[in-house]
Amino acid sequence: MNGRSAAARGSATLALLAVLLGTCAAFMALKLKTDTIVRKKVPGSSIIFIPSGKFLKYATFGYSSLAADLIYIWSIQYYSTPTIDDRFTHLDHIFAIISDLDPAFIDPYETGSLIASVEAGDSRLALKILNNGIAKNPKEWLLPFDAGHIAMMNLKDFDLAQEYFKECMDLPGAPDFTRRLYANALYRKGDLETAWQTWLDIYKTAPDEQVRKIASNHLYQVKSAIDTGRLKEAIGRYRDLTGRLPSELADLVRAHILASLAKDLDGQDYVYDPQTGAVRAATSPWKR
Amino acid sequence: MKIWAIAGITFKEAKRDRILYLLFFFAAVSISATRILAILTVGDRVKIIKDVGLASISIFGVLMAVLIGTSLVYKEIDKKTILTLLSKPLRRAEFILGKFLGLVLTLFVMTVGMGLIFLAVVYLHTSRIEWPLLVAIAYVFLELVLITAVAILFSSFSTPILSSIFSLAFYLIGHISWGLNLLIKKMHAGAGKAAARFLYVFLPDLENFNFRTEAVHGLPIPSSIFLYSILYGVCYTAFILALAILVFRRRDFI
Amino acid sequence: MADAIRIESLRKSFRLGFIPKTTEILKGITFSVSEGEVFGYLGPNGAGKTTTIKCLLGLVFPDAGSIEIFGHPHLSARARQSLGFLPENPYFYDYLTASEFLAFTADLFGLGRREKDGRIDRLLKLVGLERAAGLPLRKFSRGMLQRAGLAQALINDPKLVVLDEPLGGMDPLGRKEIRDIIVRFKQEGKTVLFTSHILQDIEMICDHVAIIVGGRVVKQGALQDLVSEKVLFTEMTVAGVPPDAFRGLGESLSVQGDRVLLKIVEERRVDAVLSLVREKNGRVVSLSPRTETLEDIFVETVTGR
Repeated sequence: MNGRSAAARGSATLALLAVLLGTCAAFMALKLKTDTIVRKKVPGSSIIFIPSGKFLKYATFGYSSLAADLIYIWSIQYYSTPTIDDRFTHLDHIFAIISDLDPAFIDPYETGSLIASVEAGDSRLALKILNNGIAKNPKEWLLPFDAGHIAMMNLKDFDLAQEYFKECMDLPGAPDFTRRLYANALYRKGDLETAWQTWLDIYKTAPDEQVRKIASNHLYQVKSAIDTGRLKEAIGRYRDLTGRLPSELADLVRAHILASLAKDLDGQDYVYDPQTGAVRAATSPWKR
Repeated sequence: MKIWAIAGITFKEAKRDRILYLLFFFAAVSISATRILAILTVGDRVKIIKDVGLASISIFGVLMAVLIGTSLVYKEIDKKTILTLLSKPLRRAEFILGKFLGLVLTLFVMTVGMGLIFLAVVYLHTSRIEWPLLVAIAYVFLELVLITAVAILFSSFSTPILSSIFSLAFYLIGHISWGLNLLIKKMHAGAGKAAARFLYVFLPDLENFNFRTEAVHGLPIPSSIFLYSILYGVCYTAFILALAILVFRRRDFI
Repeated sequence: MADAIRIESLRKSFRLGFIPKTTEILKGITFSVSEGEVFGYLGPNGAGKTTTIKCLLGLVFPDAGSIEIFGHPHLSARARQSLGFLPENPYFYDYLTASEFLAFTADLFGLGRREKDGRIDRLLKLVGLERAAGLPLRKFSRGMLQRAGLAQALINDPKLVVLDEPLGGMDPLGRKEIRDIIVRFKQEGKTVLFTSHILQDIEMICDHVAIIVGGRVVKQGALQDLVSEKVLFTEMTVAGVPPDAFRGLGESLSVQGDRVLLKIVEERRVDAVLSLVREKNGRVVSLSPRTETLEDIFVETVTGR
């Protein structure tokens, strides 16, 4: 007769297996149940209370760039969770931490600024994030490029936009049309002289016909702006002098206000409306 | 009862382990140091004290459970003290349960110790004891009980180093269960997703015992989860212990 | 006489190593130990002695065969209650004192409080440790540990005592004490099974013996049956007689000063040598007939196979 009794041992084993399966089924059912219970959670909330990324950098023992990766990946999930209402309150802080941990990690600056401008609707914050990135990565063209776009499109701050584009247009890797964005921003800002010079440079150094055409159109636009500006000013002086609008542009020359009448880039005259005193170019710059 | 006899000497033995006091010392330092940390912080000081304090109790508790638990059974086998033990009329199941109980007792004492230091530090800052903190600590203890069972399971057939790695892996897996869920949501329906879903429900979810965030932020806790969490902990622990006993029963001690 | 232990066709293989290789350790062990006797279990290293003991005690599970202790299955609680075990090189919880350790062991048998205390004191006295009762086991010498081990093996007043190499590493005085204790067990009616390498001790106290070689019992039986009383040769030390005188009667083994050690093979020549010594006015310093010892049997068994 072998064993305590083979049957007794066998039945004990069976009992254990029953316990095993029973408890397994039980905890799996319980897990499904607890999943349904909604708990107010702020995932990763404790990250908010770390005073700065610098502290975290020391705490991660040389794995700071890995930590940056992990926090970045987490942040993407966090910001893709629309049910967290107040997720933007620490946007700045979180991306500042990632920047402190790995300043040369470019994606977070882009993503952060995107979230800020598009989702949170805070363009100033977006620029703040990008500025941080620019400061730490002066040779990276993409960041001022993005910043320029935000300044131009969202804030309509063309002065700021042209600064950004100027910063990145000569950096390695920047697309050539950055220069054109710069020139355009100058124009929109109102700095017509520099805009003209810049467009001229672009025209002269254009690599192909298409770019030359674009430059030419813009030159037309800038010249028109400069010329019509001067003409308007002259009309104004005429009016002060005579008390009425000139009947035609030639009156300005006869009145010795202007030495001659400027022509547009194509050699055409500017169009004058004697009723309103408005001056404009003969054609649209884009339909030449 | 024989289980108590084993538990008793296990408690005596664990009490003597220097690792225990080292970890307890670090936990005490960590909790007390939150006072200094609080000065550096931008924001609510008390929150950081509570956060770090509870995290310390949890982390150091887990380290105690793993470091002591993984050598508990292994030492007996290695030093051959188990030969005199198991030749007595002692069932192998009683041995495993006794070891488990002894370590749980030890951890209970340690958790109470760390908890008292923590509550004292909080009291110094807020002049009151908050009920949610006690709940958070109690559930930390429940998590430790489960980790202990896991450590003993691995200790019954593996060396302390490997057992520690496996036990810590269990702990980590238990805390990123939600990550697996996120992944599953992005999967295409099919066999892979079904298998992943099964894995998700089977693998431990230690977040069920984590009320630290709620305690620190003063968030409300739905009352239903208290009972379900305890049951979850009990069932999972029983499962692990049953596994340990099953493995241990047919083992030859060469 | 009932059998204290009955082992039949015990087989055990182990799978060891990273790439598991099966090694058969026990290849069909069969022997029995009668109640009330002292049984010696011998064999060369690696033969399977300790494995057999471990199977007996439920520390190792046999692949095939059966083991009965006093007629009960060996893993049953009743069987375990009636035996006591002392392992080779015992190691106990070193932070406990001797009394604490014995108290703990008593708890494992479910002994009552009063019974426990009385027995612990008695056992400590029996093994000579009553003065070291409060000392932690960590501070015990090897001999003391052995005694403590013996005490714990007896805590339940077992009918069967199993000892694995109880005499190993002890000084001659210690060995004598253990031998005496074992003999006392027999007088008390206990059955003793022990393994040993020290054949002289086995010869001195065992009733029955089994020799295991390569996982099989190759010889077993009562000691007096195995070891014949045949005289192999006689050794005689003589003084005062020159070695040449003994030529033809026996071989001279060594000469020291005026002493000659002779080995006389044929028994009848012993008388002839004695006459010669008296003739030459020599002196017989010592005379010892050398019979077949257990060692001879053992060596013959192990190497002969």
